[in-house]
Amino acid sequence: MIAIALLELKKITKRFGGLMALRGISLSIDKGELVGIIGPNGSGKTTLFNVISGVYKPDSGSIFFAGIDITSYPPHRRARMGIARAFQIPRPFPGLSVRENVAVGALFGLGGEGLDIEDALARADDVLRLVGLYEKRLELAEKLTGSEKKILELARAIAMSPRLLLLDEVMAGTPPASIDKLAGIIRGLAREGMASVSLVEHVLRAVAKIVERAVVLYRGEVVLEGSVEEVLRSEKLREIYLGGARFVT
Amino acid sequence: MRLSWISRIQIILALAFYAILWGLREVFPQYSQLLTLVIFYTALGQAFNIFLGLTGYVDFGYVAFMALGMYGGALAVKYVASTGLAPILALVLGPLQSVAMAVVVASAIGLIALRLRGAYFAIATVGVNEGLRHLIEGARIWGGAEGVIIPGDLRKLFGDEGFGYIATVYADTMLVVIASCAAIATWVLKNSRIGYGLAALREDEDAAKVMGVNTTKYKIIAFITSAAFGSLIGSAWALKVTTIYPPEAFNITYTIEAIIVAVIGGAGTLFGPLIGGVLYTLTKYYLGVALPGLQLLIFAPILVAVATTFPRGVVGSIRMIYSRRYILRELLR
Repeated sequence: MIAIALLELKKITKRFGGLMALRGISLSIDKGELVGIIGPNGSGKTTLFNVISGVYKPDSGSIFFAGIDITSYPPHRRARMGIARAFQIPRPFPGLSVRENVAVGALFGLGGEGLDIEDALARADDVLRLVGLYEKRLELAEKLTGSEKKILELARAIAMSPRLLLLDEVMAGTPPASIDKLAGIIRGLAREGMASVSLVEHVLRAVAKIVERAVVLYRGEVVLEGSVEEVLRSEKLREIYLGGARFVT
Repeated sequence: MRLSWISRIQIILALAFYAILWGLREVFPQYSQLLTLVIFYTALGQAFNIFLGLTGYVDFGYVAFMALGMYGGALAVKYVASTGLAPILALVLGPLQSVAMAVVVASAIGLIALRLRGAYFAIATVGVNEGLRHLIEGARIWGGAEGVIIPGDLRKLFGDEGFGYIATVYADTMLVVIASCAAIATWVLKNSRIGYGLAALREDEDAAKVMGVNTTKYKIIAFITSAAFGSLIGSAWALKVTTIYPPEAFNITYTIEAIIVAVIGGAGTLFGPLIGGVLYTLTKYYLGVALPGLQLLIFAPILVAVATTFPRGVVGSIRMIYSRRYILRELLR
């Protein structure tokens, strides 16, 4: 029996006018896996996330989620199948309380259909306790500090009970103590079967705390793949970041 | 639906407000004209708030649904008077017919136009309003440019005294009932899954989509609900104005007024339209009496001043100022 990958990208291309943002990306992510996508600014990371979450439709190629072809599915449908995303710049619903923000995730994420409001709010409280934002649950989201908003962004995504969590630079701008805590939470969820993909612009040692496998994206192509230690030590990665001109794929 | 006690108090207060308005009208008949206007604008704001307030979208063609309701109400009276059916049917068929027309038209507009975002949607809706008006005039349906005139039919059905009663007490009571139902609908929506989806899309539509909210579906639900209440208001209003001309019925001023009532009071809040309706009507009415001819000149700066002082509307701004007082904030949501 062949195991089905949780997420499978097959030769994804995406073009904006004359710019080829993604050039035939193929990538496979298994259940519970912790993957980091590393690449300098403009390498196509965020475009890739937008294609996976359904914000953009790829020009060619297909996306399979748990064996189902979701290439033509709108974002909300993908979210309900278990794909959650935390934005790089937090986008909380400012006029809603922290708790209501998270409850939206619980209500509309995977398995949210059967929840009533009280259940969703209770689930929100659980998630807020987990990430350490419970004391602020009744505050309006717009009153939170920048790093609290980052944590709220993650809490909303976790409340969606995702099978695949897409984290866009969630660790950037977060205090080191929180990074350790959040890394622990994400690792814990992975043990329960949730896969996560983190985008990282700058090669930080912090990545290694979350990620097991690293994929290096450069100019819209996967140029390097392997365990995070291997990748971080590789000569090629150094060339991409420091000596891009000499680098030829 | 399990509800917090704050939420229960909230709806009781809203319904009490409408009951008091209705009662005042009975107790002070000398003010009935003013109170009727307060009831009308509050009802209009309450109905429009379901779409404008809960989604954050502006529908500049909203009056079209009220106009459809006016035609629906008036045509039912004409039909019953000409066929000799039981007179009471005129009052039952009117609202039913109005809602049916509004729901059909709102579904058609919603399915197409609600795929548009923000300003594009607003522009499209102006076109729908003008289009409907010119269709009625140009194709000469429902009396074309001559309109529908029903005082004779109402007299025939209900007699002189009955006609007077229907145009005053009955129509006003209908408006209070419709406004109360619109308030209940707003409250039920806000406390449901749909309300959470709407709140998310109003705050950030793209983030809402990625979080699993089918934004188009929820916008359409709010649009149709709001349109249905707008048409009910029209069907009751038709009994008061009794002559329905296309340029009057489709007059965009009603839409602008509905926007002002909802926004000044606090768009998206349950009490916003109540406060907005009272403030708007009293200001408009007394300026009209005190400074006839100059009322609009004075009114505009007042509106600007209120909008600058209370950017989220009176209720919305109070809620933000005291945002750390949880009970008050929840009560004013």
